[in-house]
Amino acid sequence: MPVVELVAVTKAYERKLAVDRLSLSIDAGQMFGLLGPNGAGKTSSIRMMMGITMPDSGQVKLFDKPFERRSLDRVGYLPEERGLYKKMKVLEQLIFLGQLHGLHAEEARKRSVDWSNRLEIADALDKKTEELSKGMQQKIQFIGSILHDPGLIVMDEPFSGLDPINAVLLERSLLELKDKGRAILFSTHRMDQVEKLCDSICLIHNGEAVLSGRMREIKNRYERDHVIVEFEGNPAFLTSDQVAEAKNFSGHAEIRLKPHGDAQKLLREASSVATIYRFELVEPSLEEIFIRTVGGEAYA
Amino acid sequence: MRNLLLVARREYLEQIRGRAFRLSTIGLPSLFVIIVAIAYASSLGLGMHKHLVVASPNPVLAGQVRDQLLIGRRHDAAIAVVAPCPPEMRAALINEIRAKTIDGVLWIAAPADSKPIAAYISNSAGDFITASHLDNAVNNGLMEARLTGAGLDSAQAGAIVNGVSIETYQVRKNGTVVKSNAEASFWKGYAMAFLLSLTTMIYGMNVARSIIQEKTSRIFEVMLATVKPTEMLAGKLIGVGAVGLTQIAIWLAAAVAIVGSPFATAMLTGQFSLHFSWFEGLLFPVYFVLGYLLYSSLFAGLAATCETEQELQMYMPLAAAPTWLSFALIILIVNDSNSFWSVASSLFPPTAPICMFLRMASETPPAWQFAVSIALLIVSIWGTLWFSSRLYRIGILMYGKRATIPELFRWLRYS
Repeated sequence: MPVVELVAVTKAYERKLAVDRLSLSIDAGQMFGLLGPNGAGKTSSIRMMMGITMPDSGQVKLFDKPFERRSLDRVGYLPEERGLYKKMKVLEQLIFLGQLHGLHAEEARKRSVDWSNRLEIADALDKKTEELSKGMQQKIQFIGSILHDPGLIVMDEPFSGLDPINAVLLERSLLELKDKGRAILFSTHRMDQVEKLCDSICLIHNGEAVLSGRMREIKNRYERDHVIVEFEGNPAFLTSDQVAEAKNFSGHAEIRLKPHGDAQKLLREASSVATIYRFELVEPSLEEIFIRTVGGEAYA
Repeated sequence: MRNLLLVARREYLEQIRGRAFRLSTIGLPSLFVIIVAIAYASSLGLGMHKHLVVASPNPVLAGQVRDQLLIGRRHDAAIAVVAPCPPEMRAALINEIRAKTIDGVLWIAAPADSKPIAAYISNSAGDFITASHLDNAVNNGLMEARLTGAGLDSAQAGAIVNGVSIETYQVRKNGTVVKSNAEASFWKGYAMAFLLSLTTMIYGMNVARSIIQEKTSRIFEVMLATVKPTEMLAGKLIGVGAVGLTQIAIWLAAAVAIVGSPFATAMLTGQFSLHFSWFEGLLFPVYFVLGYLLYSSLFAGLAATCETEQELQMYMPLAAAPTWLSFALIILIVNDSNSFWSVASSLFPPTAPICMFLRMASETPPAWQFAVSIALLIVSIWGTLWFSSRLYRIGILMYGKRATIPELFRWLRYS
């Protein structure tokens, strides 16, 4: 049973078509990446899921039912445009957000303390929000969005502004929630995180879905035409006839082969001029797929 | 409904715990009392402490004018008489004015038995208050001089000229007649209208400021995932309005305690007698709530279209214009509280709360006018809410730039 489903959803603002007949579906226990360049229609799609705006046509379904506001009590939302009440104390704010999602004050307090301990931010509970750093505020907002244990968690750029340690804490929390059967949708530009965390993706461009499906199936559609080489010595092999494009990062090179380019030939050429520590034929990264699909200019 | 109340509660607690609430609860009435006291005290002494010279060829007339000027004057008043005064002295006296050794000269150029020509010469062109005192004094002095010239002794002439003071009484709706004081009634009406306009504007602005802060802090999108925009707006209006009512309740309780004290009883039953009725006590919060809802719903719509408080300030003169208009009508209303313009301004929703209290300073308007004024306010509030909620629903999600007028019309059409 899909937890959230968009069926041919369209939304236009004046003359701009923000979302064009977009369909997608996310099941329980699935981590889903919504990708696209800036202005592709990601936030517009999410806002329709959250009932903040209504589609001009098509249908939004939450928990296998046509959208109704009551269902939002089972949804956690961390928008891209984040904010908290600056003058409120953190614990009061979390209780308030929990209550808005139907929790009793005491239960909201208990869960707030519990999550704050897990995200190593318990010291901040008695402080005013304005006293916290941006990263800490982001963790508080994350807690506020999952306090009511929602079945669907929607996160727009959840890792932006977090240092690597806190990003790992957040990743772990999301994986835990996924393992508990929660459906998680996140929209991001961080392809490495999508590649690591998501089971399925939908790439939208100019409001349309241009690539969607399970991550493995998508990757299998592409040839293994990429080579990672770690080497020491002369980099002359990077200009070989087999190579379409190469990036050299001081002994770590990422190479895209020409169509029908011969990897074995390239390995011979490389080993003749340099010491090779690693030579791996890989499928294109999600970032590469993204750029190939929407074009480098749009992503820039 | 539950979320609406949660939003209202949050707004209420945040504002009532703030330093601004504590300061304004104590500070506003104190400030108002100080302003009124200063205005009243200074008006008592205006034009009364100057160093004047009465110059005339007729010493009797000059003396009588000086006596008139000294009536009710404070002990530091200095009024010299130069009489008989030859015309050549005029230039010397003007030099004294220029040297600021005296403030002015009252020059009476003709004898009392022919038509006199009086002139007041001073450094200040706009000193109409002193000129008004002098006008009365010259006329009374002249009349006294003529009466004594006609054979009356000075005591008889003085009694005729000085006349009597008139006590004022007001007939109430229930037929009772109570001693009234026009000045005190005016100040009472003025004070209530002033507090009403101040609280309405302050809390209307608080709603607007709160919306701008939420817009700046980007909390709206988090909130809108659980709360409808209309619930957000209604919760905000109720929460902030409840803060205003709390403040008014504190002021009323303090007023009741002060009015009931022996000190106030002694003060308010004398020359400056005041009568506060329960009706006035009841109407004040009613007109506050209606006025507040009208202005705050308007401010809420405007605030949703702005990015910063500075942008919001642009709309303020427009929104505050009805308040200025109400106070501009004050003389008209106090002079004739039942004139067409007095009644119209107390029924016209934007000016109704203030003008109704200004009218009540003179006499209580008929019940039907209260009913019509309240009904018109309710209809206007509904209309303003309709307009503002449409701007609000779209405006709170628009970041980055201020909406243009054509965009605002489009927002109204979309929502």
